Amino acid sequence: MATVTIKNVSKTFGDNVVLRDFNETFQDGEFVTLLGPSGCGKTTMLRIIAGFEKPTSGEVYIDDQLVSGGKTFVPPEKRSIGMVFQSYAVWPHMNVFDNVAYPLTIKKTPKSTIKENVDRVLEIVHLSQYAQRLPNQLSGGQQQRVALARALVAAPKLLLLDEPLSNLDAKLRESMRFEIKEIQKKLGITVVYVTHDQTEAMAMSDRIFLINRGVVQQCGTPEQIYNEPANQFVADFLGKVDFFKGEAANGRIVFPGMGGQSIAYDGPRTGKVEVAIRPESIYFAPDGELEGTLEAQYYLGDVDDCRVRVGDTLVRVIANGYEYKGLKEGQPVRMHVRSFMVFEDNGLLEQMLKIQT
Amino acid sequence: MKNATAAQKALPGQSRAPLMTKIGLALVFALGIAVIVLGMSGQRVYDTSGFSAESAYSAIYSLGKDVRSTWEQQLQPLLAALPEEQRTQTDAAVRSLVDAAWESAAPGSAKKVEELLSSAPENDRAALAYKLLSAAYLVNGPKVSTAQKKEIAALSDADFAAFQQAVLNGVTDESAALPPAAAKAADLQGQERQAMLMQLLLTSFDTSDSGDAVNALKKGVRDKAKQLDAFRMIANGEVSWLWQLIVSNSRTAVLVGIVIALDALLLTLLMLWDKSWIIDVKWIFILLIVDFLLLFQLMPLVYMVIKAFFPEGQFSLETFERLYTYSLNLDALTNTLIAAFATMILGTLLAFPLAWLVGRTNLYGKKFFRALFVLTYMVPPYVGAMAWLRLLNPNVGTINQWLRVLFGLSDAPGPLNVYTLPGMVWVLTSFYYPYAFITISRAMEKMDPSLEEASRISGGSPLKTLFTITLPMMMPSLIAGALLVFVSAMSCYGIPSIIGSPGRVHTVTTRIVEYVSLGQQALNDATGMAVFLMVMALIILFISDVVLAKKQYITVSGKSVRPAIVDLRSWRVPLTVIVGIFAVIMIFIPFATIFATSFKIDIGKTMFEPNNFTLTNWTTVFSRTETMNCLKNSLIYASVTATVGIVIACTMSYLLQRTRVKGRKIPDFLITLGSGTPSVVIALGLIMTMKGNFGINIYNTAYIMIIAYLIKYMMMGMRTVVSAMSQIHVSLEECSQIAGASWMKTMFRITGPLIFPSIAAGWFLIFIPSFYELSMTTLLYSSTTKTIGFQLYEYWTFTSQPMSCAMAFGILLIVVALNFILNRLTKGEFSI
Repeated sequence: MATVTIKNVSKTFGDNVVLRDFNETFQDGEFVTLLGPSGCGKTTMLRIIAGFEKPTSGEVYIDDQLVSGGKTFVPPEKRSIGMVFQSYAVWPHMNVFDNVAYPLTIKKTPKSTIKENVDRVLEIVHLSQYAQRLPNQLSGGQQQRVALARALVAAPKLLLLDEPLSNLDAKLRESMRFEIKEIQKKLGITVVYVTHDQTEAMAMSDRIFLINRGVVQQCGTPEQIYNEPANQFVADFLGKVDFFKGEAANGRIVFPGMGGQSIAYDGPRTGKVEVAIRPESIYFAPDGELEGTLEAQYYLGDVDDCRVRVGDTLVRVIANGYEYKGLKEGQPVRMHVRSFMVFEDNGLLEQMLKIQT
Repeated sequence: MKNATAAQKALPGQSRAPLMTKIGLALVFALGIAVIVLGMSGQRVYDTSGFSAESAYSAIYSLGKDVRSTWEQQLQPLLAALPEEQRTQTDAAVRSLVDAAWESAAPGSAKKVEELLSSAPENDRAALAYKLLSAAYLVNGPKVSTAQKKEIAALSDADFAAFQQAVLNGVTDESAALPPAAAKAADLQGQERQAMLMQLLLTSFDTSDSGDAVNALKKGVRDKAKQLDAFRMIANGEVSWLWQLIVSNSRTAVLVGIVIALDALLLTLLMLWDKSWIIDVKWIFILLIVDFLLLFQLMPLVYMVIKAFFPEGQFSLETFERLYTYSLNLDALTNTLIAAFATMILGTLLAFPLAWLVGRTNLYGKKFFRALFVLTYMVPPYVGAMAWLRLLNPNVGTINQWLRVLFGLSDAPGPLNVYTLPGMVWVLTSFYYPYAFITISRAMEKMDPSLEEASRISGGSPLKTLFTITLPMMMPSLIAGALLVFVSAMSCYGIPSIIGSPGRVHTVTTRIVEYVSLGQQALNDATGMAVFLMVMALIILFISDVVLAKKQYITVSGKSVRPAIVDLRSWRVPLTVIVGIFAVIMIFIPFATIFATSFKIDIGKTMFEPNNFTLTNWTTVFSRTETMNCLKNSLIYASVTATVGIVIACTMSYLLQRTRVKGRKIPDFLITLGSGTPSVVIALGLIMTMKGNFGINIYNTAYIMIIAYLIKYMMMGMRTVVSAMSQIHVSLEECSQIAGASWMKTMFRITGPLIFPSIAAGWFLIFIPSFYELSMTTLLYSSTTKTIGFQLYEYWTFTSQPMSCAMAFGILLIVVALNFILNRLTKGEFSI
């Protein structure tokens, strides 16, 4: 099908740099997700691939053909791409059939072939009986599937999806997630998917590009990104995490904020560090390294969300129900940290928190 | 919410409250009926007291005597100079005019007038007939414009005598040539022509003390006639003092009674609908606004329709038959329809590509062009007409002069002539295409860009996308814009009056104004024309507000929309140049012409030729007290209109956006209806109903003008405030109330500041068009209530074109300055 190669792509709007030196190749048949908070530049990247924006510098190749860069610019209509927009962009003045048939009509495909193809994709998205409806007679989820069918009907080599599920309710979003993945597997096309929802990204992607402020923070499989975050931002964006400032020396990390208590550490870093701990990787143990007072606990059914005061710091612990049995608020507890991540204390965290608040 | 608390408070006495309300409503209704009955019986006393039209005439006549005394000596020799046969004919013509004039002033009086004349000595009869005619015209005569009077006054003695002679001849002989000051009458036939000529003749006798004295007298007569006679009746012991009060105000009493009764009925209906039987204070506001609109908007319009179909109290299509078999009117009708239709097509064809280029492409200088095209929207149309007239006059038009030099044509007039139907269409287009431009570009900006991107990614080229996606989705707005152009061009008076009149290209609006100036008899004919205009406008209003609104594709997405910009590539420079040339032709050249003309002595030469540059036009115009008075009038009327209008607009916005009170849509509907009614129609309706015949006499006052402006322009303010309020989520207000602020405080601290820019914008949107209004002013002005727009029109038509250009540029400067203030005041959020 198609590969997408992006070489040193940067994009600025006036003084505002929205994308900096993007360099990557999306493989044939790969499901790639561009993930990041709003305003991070992920949609801009997608629109550059589609041809709705021109990169300020750098080049974009689809299947080794230069489409954007230098003096070359292939307009969107010549790129043979399918795309689903966040707002669906289903044309209100055409019925479902005409909407879906549009890309083929443009290509001057014979009528019988159009009918055949439209029927086929409508079958795929389960909309066969709605072909003659007008968009305003359809629900949000149905409109979304019309948009998907329209993107697929011309058998594109590349499918771009711009937050296609963000306007749907939670249940529908979950089922559509799997439908899209199924269709991608069945057709074997390359998909570039943009979202700010980490669960969506984790569930569907072969590879995730985590972007913040126009820069790719990390790229990898969902497991790699979750378990081996490249920096504090990545760690914080995926899942729950708390950061603690510490001092690494002599095989231990000392936390000044916890009254000088420490945990064992055999990693390479020394000096000022930031330790990222996911609340679910702490567990209560009589021989735990850290000692504190249980200050609050919230029953959540499958787990308990606890707050433990260690020195001047509140530590969040998500404990399995059986671990805390018999524990009472105000009672002293000991905890063990199963796993943690250590980063250099380079002020990145403060910077990042500043943006988020 | 207010309803709920009120309901809870009322709980203890729940069983009694509805009963009390019902009794209260019944009492109010009964009061209304009682006042009506009282008024009607007063009217009856008045009608049957033996007090006759005759005695009213004597009262009127005695008031008018002083003014008339001068012409009696002048008339005799004039009549004596006529050949015997023509004198008899003139006498007969005057007699029939006297009958008609009195009959329309007071039905049934023609017979009495006949008796009066018959009983007069033979040799006094002619003079008496003229006196009676003069007295009748004082009250209901054709309106001779002040400018026309001035023109007559400026004649030399010899010309003056010739003028009077020619006019008198013209009464009996339709083929007789008429002097220029009587040009208006030349278009007329039969009794209309005679009436107009007689009024001119009578006017010519008293030009020495014309103007204010006559106007004051007219008004005095109208106001006092009834009271005078009521006093006379009391003096004769015919009625008591209480009856005097009722008799002299009987019609007002009937009207007030009807309003009270209607209010009670309406309130009852609202309560039945609401099923609460608890009086909501908001209804009082609704009723106040509804009452105002009922009296000054609905009643005149309904009265006009009735007058048109029941001219003599019985259903008859005679008025229409007469009107539309008269070739002049038929021409006016076809001209109006052709001009409006051509303007619509041409305007939309210009507006759509411009809106697309400016809104959706990478054309150079988009913002500048946009501001420029919208600028035309706030320029009075008659100023544009003046400019184009200077440019395309067949003899001395600047463009014609250039073309003749350029193509080596002879000095014969032409090649272009603005005094034609195509000329009028061109000027109408240059002023009304912005209406379509604004409507279309607003819709284009609201359109979700991904709808077009979806087409691009599906393989559609930009051009293909434009025609398969953008254009079809724009269609409802496109049609709405086109209809707006049609109805505006159709109801326009300023442009046809300046361009059409000299070229004898009549339109419905200019015909209506002419008919009105002919006086009482012709009012019926004016009504017939107005009803046609009104019906057309209302049909179009219905189509665009109801039919099209439903078809409008709502594509506003939650995200902030950045419209997709089409790259014009190699077309970018050529298209920018084309749009630039268009702007120069449409905007720069006309305004520059106005500016240049204002410094000229000889308008046929350029400003730079020796001895052709002068500042006196400016200094003369702006040092005249009359101009300054007109300017002052305009500023005052427009300020009052805008202030009253914005108060109503804010009240309505609150009722519409923040309450669910029943009946809030009624005033909304009436306001929309008013703004959709052509100006000339509104003014005509007011003239016909506000001169005392229904108990309200505001004819010739500032009130009638302010009310007319309000009806026409109030909606501009209301729409602005409503849309601002709809964008402020109610939670912002609720939050303030939760924080402990009272309703008042919330309004002043939260809602007020948030919508202030829109309130200011709304104020200016009412102020600006009221400031330079012409169509309604032409019909409603009096010598003391002239506005700058009308003054400009008079200067242009009768005095000096360079001076009127100076005035026009002055108006433009004021409007631009106001726009600048508005822009500053609202931090750039609003300008027109």
